[in-house]
Amino acid sequence: MTPDLSVAIGALALRGPVLAASGTFGYGTEVPLLERRALGGMVSKGIFLRPREGTAPPRIAETPSGMLNAIGLQGPGVEALIRDYAPQWAEWDFPVLVNINGETAAEYGELAARLDGVPGVAGFEINISCPNVEQGGLYFGNDPRAAAAVTEAVRKRTKLPVWVKLTPMVSDIGVIARAVESAGADALCAINTFVGMSIDLNAHWPRLSFRTGGLSGPAIRPLAVHLAHQAARAVRIPVIGIGGIARAEDALEFMIAGCSAVQVGTATFVNPKAIAEVHNGIAAFLEARGFASLGELPRYLPRD
Amino acid sequence: MFLLDAPVTGKRQVAHGMFVIGMRAPEIAAEVRAGQFVNLGWAGGPLLRRPFSVYRAEGEHVEVVLKAVGAGTAQLLAMEIGDRISCLGPLGHGFDLGGAARSVVLISGGLGVAPMPLAARDAKTAGLPVTWVHGARTAAELCAETDGDQVVWATDDGSQGLHGTAVAAAPAGDLVLACGPNRMLAAVAERWPDAQVAVETYMGCGTGVCLGCAVPLARGGYDRACKEGPVYRAADVDWSVLPSHLPYAISA
Repeated sequence: MTPDLSVAIGALALRGPVLAASGTFGYGTEVPLLERRALGGMVSKGIFLRPREGTAPPRIAETPSGMLNAIGLQGPGVEALIRDYAPQWAEWDFPVLVNINGETAAEYGELAARLDGVPGVAGFEINISCPNVEQGGLYFGNDPRAAAAVTEAVRKRTKLPVWVKLTPMVSDIGVIARAVESAGADALCAINTFVGMSIDLNAHWPRLSFRTGGLSGPAIRPLAVHLAHQAARAVRIPVIGIGGIARAEDALEFMIAGCSAVQVGTATFVNPKAIAEVHNGIAAFLEARGFASLGELPRYLPRD
Repeated sequence: MFLLDAPVTGKRQVAHGMFVIGMRAPEIAAEVRAGQFVNLGWAGGPLLRRPFSVYRAEGEHVEVVLKAVGAGTAQLLAMEIGDRISCLGPLGHGFDLGGAARSVVLISGGLGVAPMPLAARDAKTAGLPVTWVHGARTAAELCAETDGDQVVWATDDGSQGLHGTAVAAAPAGDLVLACGPNRMLAAVAERWPDAQVAVETYMGCGTGVCLGCAVPLARGGYDRACKEGPVYRAADVDWSVLPSHLPYAISA
């Protein structure tokens, strides 16, 4: 019998635990060869109130088992998102959360208010962890008061699920996790990319035009499992694990370490079928071990 | 778009350090148009796929042309007949030969030969006479498979054909299609603003979602080499911001 892979993240019911990570799936309209039934949900590319051009090329650089990116949250702005994409999302059979960004806490709140009630928008992922913007982004993510202020600003303007995507660039992720939990977050997403740099030996200069970028891919997976685990220990709300997941075994590591669901990101660039393979692999793993549902999977989660 | 497990069917050398690899990818071979590319991955290879313009497509087979410029391309060149390559494609927006042109001039620099055999094929099919201008640093680096109604050679060191660049050697053209290093394409843009050029960029996904292959536009902003490109109207690109001399790139 096929195991039950459905999960509830707060009030949001997902048919499966594997979501598409923000920035690796566009707005969901252009991903090729997608097996939708395997998709638990999708987090849209990060959006600001206004359109953004993004950074100059080169924007990406490959590193051992990983990649650096500095896209700079290129996007059309919230009005274009509402006009061009949300109507399509409203037709889909999985929830779409919008990754929201701002330069001030008030801008995050405004975005949530504008998107609240728009058909097709199932919730929010607050991005307080983008390393590739000059203002905001990471700044909010490594200060517990700023992180809480952004979360509160969004919480006040919507009844939809509010998830907060955390940065790994902190000395104690538990402190930030507790701060945003207290501020009303429904779930945490752990983690966003690490800040990294790679140097062009011929140019004697960084390989990315932004100088630094966010490191993703299998290179960060053990770091991410540890940080997601630390976040999960620190809070009572669900944690969604992110970081270098390419196969079912990787996703299961995050879930045993305390995550309720996972997001697959960079792996989709390499293998357009990665999300389906992770979903199907989790089902096969549970079935082979006689677990009837994801809830029966044993967890390693001592509480702080 | 197809994702195929394509067996290697052949390899041949076409210039000093430049090789053509063939693979069996029937659905892609049937659909691909000149200027489009495939994104290749293989077991034990680098994390990200590597984009290559389709060089030729015949029957069930597609070919790509490459030089060993890094660990990834060295692995590809070490493959044996029957080894498997994961082939995603066809991708991108290719050359448009549908206008009112009466003749076509192809300009290729170095590995910029990559999209030209298909472009020459399509131009001939459309009944257009083809002049192919091909340049490289030295005679040994000129691709041996260049062909057309008229072929013009150019080398940086003067060892074969005209002494100088392919752009300088090109005759006036009705419809100009060009591929090569971005600095060469910038020179094409100055002489023929309406030329269609295939640009080189780093790429992440190749399918339009990662926004890693940003091409700066003259009107401002960026779009994606993998989706709106890799072929652009030459004057539409802001060449001052597009990096050149990538150690690894889609076509040059």
